[in-house]
Amino acid sequence: MRAKLALLCFFLFASRALADAKISEIKIGLDGDRVLTSFVLRNAFDRRFSERVDSGLPTSILYRFELARDRKRWWDQKLRDATFEVVVTYDAVARSYSVHYKLDDKLIESRTVRERKALEEAMTHIESLPVFSVAGLPREWRLLVKVEAELGSRTVLSLIPVTINTDWRESPKFRPPGIP
Amino acid sequence: MGLRTKLARHRKDSRVIGGGLVLLLLAATALFYLVQRGRDLPTALVTNRVLLFVLWYANVVLILVVLFVLLRNLIKLLVERRHRVLGSTFKFKLVATYIGLSLIPVLLLFAIATELLQGSMDRWFNTPVAPVLERGNAVAQALYDEIQHRHQLAAARVLREVQEIDLRDPRQLPLLNRRIQALRGELDVDFLEVYEGRDFVQAVVDPQTGLANPPDPDRSFLEAAAKDGRAAAVQTPPGGRGSLLLSGASSPPAPGTAEVGPVIVVAGSLLDPVLAEQRETLVEDYQTYRQLVVQKDDLRASHLLLFLMVTMVILLASSWTGLYLARRVTLPIQALAEGTRRISGGDLSHRVDVEADDELGVLVDSFNRMTQELASSKALLERSNQELVTSNERLAAERALIAAVLQNVAAGVVSIDSEGRIFTCNGAALDMLRQREPDVVGRHFEEAWADPDRARLAAAVRELARSGGQGGREVHLTVGGEWKTFDLKGTALRDAEGKIQGGVLVIEDLTELIKAQQLAAWNEAARRIAHEIKNPLTPIRLSAERLLRKSRQGDPGLAKAIEEAEETIVREVVTLQGMVDEFSRYARMPRPRPAPVDLPKLVGETVHLYRDLKPGVAVEGEVDPKLTAVWIDGEQIKRALINLLDNAVEATEAPGRVTVGAHPVNGHLEIQVADTGRGIPPASKEKLFLPYFSTKGRGTGLGLSIVHRIVTDHQGEIRVEDNAPQGTVFTVELPMG
Repeated sequence: MRAKLALLCFFLFASRALADAKISEIKIGLDGDRVLTSFVLRNAFDRRFSERVDSGLPTSILYRFELARDRKRWWDQKLRDATFEVVVTYDAVARSYSVHYKLDDKLIESRTVRERKALEEAMTHIESLPVFSVAGLPREWRLLVKVEAELGSRTVLSLIPVTINTDWRESPKFRPPGIP
Repeated sequence: MGLRTKLARHRKDSRVIGGGLVLLLLAATALFYLVQRGRDLPTALVTNRVLLFVLWYANVVLILVVLFVLLRNLIKLLVERRHRVLGSTFKFKLVATYIGLSLIPVLLLFAIATELLQGSMDRWFNTPVAPVLERGNAVAQALYDEIQHRHQLAAARVLREVQEIDLRDPRQLPLLNRRIQALRGELDVDFLEVYEGRDFVQAVVDPQTGLANPPDPDRSFLEAAAKDGRAAAVQTPPGGRGSLLLSGASSPPAPGTAEVGPVIVVAGSLLDPVLAEQRETLVEDYQTYRQLVVQKDDLRASHLLLFLMVTMVILLASSWTGLYLARRVTLPIQALAEGTRRISGGDLSHRVDVEADDELGVLVDSFNRMTQELASSKALLERSNQELVTSNERLAAERALIAAVLQNVAAGVVSIDSEGRIFTCNGAALDMLRQREPDVVGRHFEEAWADPDRARLAAAVRELARSGGQGGREVHLTVGGEWKTFDLKGTALRDAEGKIQGGVLVIEDLTELIKAQQLAAWNEAARRIAHEIKNPLTPIRLSAERLLRKSRQGDPGLAKAIEEAEETIVREVVTLQGMVDEFSRYARMPRPRPAPVDLPKLVGETVHLYRDLKPGVAVEGEVDPKLTAVWIDGEQIKRALINLLDNAVEATEAPGRVTVGAHPVNGHLEIQVADTGRGIPPASKEKLFLPYFSTKGRGTGLGLSIVHRIVTDHQGEIRVEDNAPQGTVFTVELPMG
């Protein structure tokens, strides 16, 4: 009975599905007050994702970032959050991929790639992305960046839509260079 | 929640139900319109993730609402059933039927629609169009691949051919131009372009292609070529017609030229517009198909969610309507049941307050009317009961009073029911009749008074009963060896309809009274006899004294005096003789000898004697002509009539009327002599039939006594009453035959 209830609750309320994709170790760099984040999303291009990209439908990977203060004896304190969306559209006639980058819904870059490998790299290799500013944060605070990726959605039982998300990945702790 | 609150909400429900149904109809119409419009919407929009989630959460909300509505009502019904609320079982069955009837077809419809949709979509994507499109796309792509491969080889060849040329030396540009011009013709490409990094150096174009200038490759193309050593691209020409197929090859930058970039050679052709368009269409169709395949699950999900939403809306509407209808039907019934319970508990002021205009409304109205009538009847009954109690108390008091009175009254009172059984008999009656109560009460009067001593009493009661229970009789009985005279008065007891329910006999012992009256009468008779005797004696004595005086004086008129005295004495003696004869006749009156008598004739002869006797006084006879053979003593009856007529004519002053009537009444012969005279005072009526009683101051006073004796000798009765408007009526009742 309990198992049936749990299953019912899952089908009713679960809107997230765990993706096979994983976020690699996150590297944090500081450029003044800006936090530069680098990581790689591995195994993102599974069959479903590749088919969707090749069909020419706009396909995106949405990265969610959270800047949090690390607290040893309590839950981390979320300080800021941000989204970074990479949208690709395949032009089968021109045989090229248009890739658009949006940081917090603002278009920051567009590029065209022609090779599949270049596309995968363009969508999953995030290099020194200036996501947050740590200006004004006390220096003694230990900070960390959490990242998860959302790779679209699928349906369960042909009926229930769920988003496909990776686990949240945490960066190494670091201290802001700000107020001593 | 109280039934009254529910009923009030029920009324509100009935007001909002119309609005609710209209809203539901509008929502269903809008949904249908959206579904219709959805067919024209692009697939991408239909399969939009936001739309899917919105639909899903809308469905979740609807499912929760339906479940909430159903579970809430089912739990309420179960609780009501457990608490044995009136009407809950009926309501439960009704709701279960409604929900079952709506749930099963709707879910069945949803299942069938879902299966049909899934089947349709599977068949759609299983058609052989996929391989055709795939092969067409592969052919188109292979053509481009082949051309681009050829261009790639051409670009590599040109790159090798121009490597020894210093591109930054303007003097060598003509050489470069000649070489690439020659190579373009040899390699059969439409144009060749040479770049150093991103900088354009030289280009040649086949003038037959129609291209005015060499096309500019995309920056990304040059970057890819520089980075990877090779690149391929399809671009739209400046004119917009056809396609440009580009292939590029690059060589690593020469030493010392890193800041400029590598040499890139671009070889390309302008594809025929028709061919390019066909290829483009083919590729786009294939892409569209692939998009559909990719979105198949989302498309199916969106349609299923839409179906589910419609199903849920229908389910919600049907279950809610079912519940509403069940409540609408059961609430009045519940109210009626509650009303019945309250009324059976004695609360007749309870009214069912339900507004309904259907048969239930009629039922409720009838119930309320019935309750009102019950309340009125109960109030009336209580009032009647109270009145009855009061009446019973009064009757009991009256009964006690009557019993006390009856027990203490001197007259005997006997009540007899309609069957003739003696109901009560007071002590005075028992004393008079010398009987014990058990011998009388509860027995029929004929039985109680069957012994010879009391048989005349029974006969008198029988006579009274025969005459309607009213009237009086004088009865002579020998009770305990004593001769008793009783005055028997009867009064019929009648019910509201006038039907005789019994009677009351009042018995008065007249023995002592009659004795006293007789004594008084004899005293009076003696006085009158003495007076009547004294009257003739006085003239006799005076005549005798006169003769003695004349004789002593020697009066010469003695002879004449003797003669006169003799006349006087003889006359008075004759008077005395007459008086004595009268008394003798009264004393020696013979027993009647009945014989058939023609009564009309007898009455006519008697009336004739008085017809013109007194001027202004009419004397008439009114006799039933059928009475031609009445068994009576004609002479005695005629004498009685003469006595009565004599008195009546004398008492009547002109103008007046005296009537003699004879009729059979209740088996008796009733003879009445009525006059319009001065009447008889009540005090005289009691002594009227006594001998020697007279109100005329003359005569013997035996006339009415003789009449009374004749009548009683005929086993009859005589009574005297006042005539209306004036006068006196003597009624003689004689037994017929």
